Amino acid sequence: MLTDLWRYRDLVASLVATELKVKYRGSALGFLWSLLSPLALIVIYTVAFRYIARIEIDRFSLFLVSGILPWAFFANSATSSTQSLMTNASLLKKVYFPRAIIPASTVLFQFVQLVLALAVFLPFVLAIRGAVPWSLALYPVVLTLQVVFVVGVALALSVLTVVFRDLRHLTEVGLTMLFWLTPIVYPLSMVPDTLRTLFALNPMTAFVSAYQEIAYWGRVPPAGAFAAMAAWAATSLAAGGLIFQWRAPSLVEDL
Amino acid sequence: MTSPAAIEVRGVWKRFILRHNRVETLKDRVLAALDPRRRERREWFWALQDVSLEVRQGETLGLIGPNGSGKSTLLRLIARTLFPTRGEIAVRGRVSPMLEVGVGFHLELTGQENVYLNGSLLGLPRREIERLYPSIVAFAELEDFIDVPVKNYSSGMQARLGFAVAAHLNPDVLVIDEGLSVGDEAFQRKCQERMAAFRAEGKTIMFVSHNLRAVAALCDRVCLLVRGRVVAVGTPSEVIPRYEALSAAARRGVAERILGPELGPRRRRLAGERQADPAARAP
Repeated sequence: MLTDLWRYRDLVASLVATELKVKYRGSALGFLWSLLSPLALIVIYTVAFRYIARIEIDRFSLFLVSGILPWAFFANSATSSTQSLMTNASLLKKVYFPRAIIPASTVLFQFVQLVLALAVFLPFVLAIRGAVPWSLALYPVVLTLQVVFVVGVALALSVLTVVFRDLRHLTEVGLTMLFWLTPIVYPLSMVPDTLRTLFALNPMTAFVSAYQEIAYWGRVPPAGAFAAMAAWAATSLAAGGLIFQWRAPSLVEDL
Repeated sequence: MTSPAAIEVRGVWKRFILRHNRVETLKDRVLAALDPRRRERREWFWALQDVSLEVRQGETLGLIGPNGSGKSTLLRLIARTLFPTRGEIAVRGRVSPMLEVGVGFHLELTGQENVYLNGSLLGLPRREIERLYPSIVAFAELEDFIDVPVKNYSSGMQARLGFAVAAHLNPDVLVIDEGLSVGDEAFQRKCQERMAAFRAEGKTIMFVSHNLRAVAALCDRVCLLVRGRVVAVGTPSEVIPRYEALSAAARRGVAERILGPELGPRRRRLAGERQADPAARAP
């Protein structure tokens, strides 16, 4: 599957470029619009949790940014992957290309959005922190593991939604619940012990905690954290890949 | 006559599952478990039954037959967008999927952007598209409109651009499903010239059409498909009259006499127990 994807890399690039062009054509501010929603969330959560619920954490908005951008990458990829095969049904029916290209390019599109958002938010992070924590050098490592994890999720959700069309709505509800089971607007240390197991079962807890360690606390996460992320990534890619390959041959007939 | 086969179809069966009252949400699945009347009814439909066919390199093969005989299914199997239920298909070389011209155009993008998108969809590397781009635009005769979004094109303009991209693919095997009915008179002539040029270059062409005169003029051999089975393969002068006789018989309702015994029923209801599989009788 991977060699196939590599052979068709020009197609992946074209599909991602198409999505970017279609999304931002006709708006002078272009991709800045895509920053609007994380920005709004940051303002709302800062007001609600820093000033109303009074969570005691220094530089709250910095804490929030370090977790919410990777979360948005995950959540947007999951949501758009559920629709990806259906919106490209006419292509899939008429032309042969490796089917995994569709969910893969969906994830890549969201990845580009994340990188653009990081480029905008980084100066802001530096301004608040005053210095670059050297632990930030681990960012690409965590990001790579997360991309692998997200690709697995996208592969599974894209084909399963073809079989069960209402999975799209379930995904949206599930993501809302998962958001509050991920330590994004509050640190994991504030979570009571009774709820800890639920948080531990959530793969996004591992990723978001790691991002917070390297970007907010300026610490190197323990080796166990990397092992956990690698395990989630491998499991997700293996399961997603298997589910996708199981459905791919009859995909066109189900669309 | 000894040139190697470009397309080999060996004992291919293709089954579609017709899903009546289709269950396609988790909600329906739960409701169906509670209420048997909501359950999905499934039926098998054999679109192709034991089809074997060989197209030699450089040959132009016409595929004819009444509607629903499985012609497009066979083309889609060769273009690899469908997989055979049983049997094997081997294609040597790059296949151009000219199943439908202009597939994959994005209406919001300009003509130029669509040439690149369409080219990469059909498997062309970017550098190759850059090289072919001027000639594609010239062939489509769209120089003045290439920077305009495709949504503002007429349907003839879209079809011309689509055919132009597909015609520049330089494939080894061309698969054409009624693809020549685009554009005006002059453009159609251009398309037919292009096809003749492909033939002269020794490309293998598989051509589906209801236009028997075009089939007779363009094809070396003709295959007649009826109800998913190969009824006859041979020269146009052998096969086309059989098709005409069959059509006439079908109008009088006596087609069975010409077709002979069926391999097996084409449709069967899937009840609880497993049904005998007609393909099991295939050699």
